[in-house]
Amino acid sequence: MHPQLEILLQIQDLKSQRRDLLEVDDERQVEVQEFHVNIDDAIRDLDQRISEMLDQLETPIRSRYERISAGRSRAVVPVINGLCYGCFVAIPTAVSGDVRRNNQIRHCDNCGRFLYVTE
Amino acid sequence: MELREFFHRDAVNLELAGETKDDVLKELIGLLGLDEKSESILFKMLKRRENLGSTGIGRGIAIPHCRSLVVNRLRVAFGRKSKGLDFNAIDSSPVHYFFLIVAPPLEVSNQYLPVLGKIAQFAKEPDVPGRLQALTTPDEFLGLLEEKAL
Repeated sequence: MHPQLEILLQIQDLKSQRRDLLEVDDERQVEVQEFHVNIDDAIRDLDQRISEMLDQLETPIRSRYERISAGRSRAVVPVINGLCYGCFVAIPTAVSGDVRRNNQIRHCDNCGRFLYVTE
Repeated sequence: MELREFFHRDAVNLELAGETKDDVLKELIGLLGLDEKSESILFKMLKRRENLGSTGIGRGIAIPHCRSLVVNRLRVAFGRKSKGLDFNAIDSSPVHYFFLIVAPPLEVSNQYLPVLGKIAQFAKEPDVPGRLQALTTPDEFLGLLEEKAL
């Protein structure tokens, strides 16, 4: 897997965790009630980690990431059943059908999001 | 949809070998059958989640969980470590039973929270820790889930 794609995936996962804690009442409730998580501390910790990971991105990739994520909640999306799960437009088979394609940074031609092929 | 439907016998390990929190998390991730890089990313995410607060909910049970792009559908696994492991659980007791839950950030059927809630509910049933300790095969574990009908 391309090292920069690995960082993008981790940033996206951290943001997903953050979004769950911040925006979804049910999720927050589960984390507080079942796991006794302090939401404010958790958000601060996640923000710091996200910032550290953004600093590890190469400038053009970071610029693209920030440009896309500013307008959309998710800048990295999986390719599932040949579709970009950001805009649901079909991705060429050469990209969508092979997890080894994760060795390269790929974008959706339609929406520009970074693509990640899952098994 | 019931809890049983999310578990597969291949994702059940009744003899976890790991002696540390990290080792056990890696073993649980291994039950999902992902590629090496995805396993590595998922491990980091689960560690991040554990750093926010232990997922050991007491009574010997932990539910490590997170959302991650490395899976394209909700995945679960169960592991047992009979002699227990220090997991910084809420009640400070050793953890013997581990339920791993991983869901993609985009989840059309939105099963993540219900499954998390059902496993927490399952864990709270008074006879569950004893029944989990007595299991001898993965099929018995699946049978217990079926019996509880959560």
